[in-house]
Parts: sequence; structure tokens; C-alpha cells
Amino acid sequence: MLTLFAPALIFLFQEESRSGAMMQGIRNPDLSRFLMIGALLFVIGVGGVLTRRNIIVIFMSIELILNAANLNFIAFSRYLQATGSMNAVAGQVFAVFVIVVAAAEAAIGLGIVIALYRNKETIWIDEIDLLKW
Amino acid sequence: MTLSGWEAVFFWIFSIAAIFAGLLTVMARNAVHSALFLISSLVSVAALFVLAGAEFIAGVQILVYVGGVMVLFLFVIMLVNVGAEERGNQPTMNKPRQVTVSMVFCLLLVLGLLFAVNVGYRGLQKRNPAPLVQEQNQTLPPGATGTSRITTDTQRVGNSLYRYAALPFEIASVLLLVAIIGSVMLARTLKQEAAVDDLAPEVLAAETVREPELAEVVPATDDLA
Repeated sequence: MLTLFAPALIFLFQEESRSGAMMQGIRNPDLSRFLMIGALLFVIGVGGVLTRRNIIVIFMSIELILNAANLNFIAFSRYLQATGSMNAVAGQVFAVFVIVVAAAEAAIGLGIVIALYRNKETIWIDEIDLLKW
Repeated sequence: MTLSGWEAVFFWIFSIAAIFAGLLTVMARNAVHSALFLISSLVSVAALFVLAGAEFIAGVQILVYVGGVMVLFLFVIMLVNVGAEERGNQPTMNKPRQVTVSMVFCLLLVLGLLFAVNVGYRGLQKRNPAPLVQEQNQTLPPGATGTSRITTDTQRVGNSLYRYAALPFEIASVLLLVAIIGSVMLARTLKQEAAVDDLAPEVLAAETVREPELAEVVPATDDLA
């Protein structure tokens, strides 16, 4: 795995520094900076889902992941508006649907959490192992 | 699409705020603190939406997420009484071995994603070398206070939502209805389920042994036979 990513990393930073694109990218953030922020938020959310024990914090991390996806949709919508594409606000329409699905997921998920807490008296996910064995 | 001047400054301020608040959401020991950090992360991302010219989505984000979903989260945190469990010396993370493996996975994921974004964006620039139309902000009329310009963003989102996405819009409303009914059904107590005669007879018989008052709330069934 590491041997796969090391050349990619070297390539990435060489390209950036060679053309002086790094400073340009910081002074004038473009689509790729939005996508990078979205990627970082996504990975933070994935890390939260993988490491935390509290099921409510895991739900919050899922909200973070969905929000990162929204950021990508909005950034691409703006980019397509700048390139004069037809129906470029479709990204924003998608973001509305993502928000709707996130709200529905939160309502159902928290209902399940309440039902679980009523039956098992715990919110630690490693103690909710009824399906494991 | 490039931001310049103060837009760039605010872009970096809000993106750093969003990332730090996201990290603190994941790392905070108390779930209420997590919820508050998640609120600040969501507000920062809403500010990024404004910078990207999506004012309507930014407003929806603050109203629905911060006003609705996060209040729901806070209510559930208070219902399940996390504080009592947090005060003991319970670890908030999984076992160290699992945490190590997930950190390695996250590192690989972030490197891969950043690499893909860089390479993909360069390819995209090759495909669309120059913006075909000028940014619309320059031609829009100024607002009443003269500090900003009137945008047509909300109008265009509404047009697109009802013209191109009318069917998904209706499906989303059905999804919300299902979510409402489902969460009400899921969160009922045993007593509430017994009161509307929604329990299987054997479950009812088993639970009545433990809680005798369950038998009183069951509605009397009038046998027609």
C-alpha cells in the first residue's frame, strides 16, 4: 500500500512546486481547493465512524460525511456555472436532496437509538453485539 | 471559478474552521460538546456555500441542519443521559488496535483522495481551458444597501427543482413522510404498543408477567363470535 502511495505523493508535490501553483492556489482558491476541503471533512467523518464507541457521535460523523458530499456538489455547481453549462444549478438541487435524506436518516437513526437504549440500557456500540454470535 | 481578494481570505478562514470543528466533533469526550462542535462545522460549511454562490443552500443548511437535526440530536443525547456514562472512566474510542488500523486507513484514504483531486482537476482544466462565460456577479444589479448585489440563485434553484427534478422532489416528500411515521413507530414504549394492541400475544403474555400494569392498558377486544 505504502509503495503504491509514495510515488503518487512525490508526484503531487513536485507538480505543485514546479509551476508555483501552490501559492497561486492559496491566493486564489479554485474548484480543487473546495474538493480538498470536502475530502478532508469526509475523511474526518470516516475516522469518527471507525473509532468512536458512542453511537450518537457516530451519527454526527455520518452527518459530517454527507456535508462533505454537499460541499463537492456546490463547488461543482459553481464551476459549471462559470463554464456556461446548461442547468448548472443541478448540483444545488442535488444538495437539497442530500439534506432531505440526511434529515430522514437522522430521524430514523435516532429513533433506533432510543429503542436500543430502552432495551439494552447502553449506547456503546461494542456492547450492542446481538447479531454477532 | 476562482475566488480572489477577501473571498479567498474568508474561504481559508471558514475552511480551517470547518476542519478543526470537524476534528473536535470526532475527538470530544462529551457528546454534547461533539454536537456543539458539529454545529460550528456546519455553519462554517454554510459560509463556504455562500462563497460558492449558493445562498439558498446555505440558508437551508442552517435552518434544517442546525435548527432541526442538531436539536433532535441534543434531545436524544439528553434522553439517553450520556453524562452519567461519560463520568465513569469509560473509554470513548474503540480498542487501541482498532483505532490504529482505522487511522492508517484514513491516512491512505486522504492521500488517495487528495492525489485524485489534483490529477482529476488538472485533467478537467485541460478539457475546459478557459471559462466560456463571464461570472454573472458583475452584471447583477446592486441591492438596496449598495453593499452587495441581488442574485438570482434562489430563483434558478427553484426553476431547476420544479422543472427537471419534480418527480424526485415528490419522492423526497414521501421519504420524509415515511421517516416521520417510522421514527414515531420505533420510539414507542412497550406500554404504548400494548395500548393500541400492537403486540404479539406471546410477547404480551411474557411481558405481563414482568409488568402487571400492561394488562390494564390493553384495549378489550369485543369478540363477535
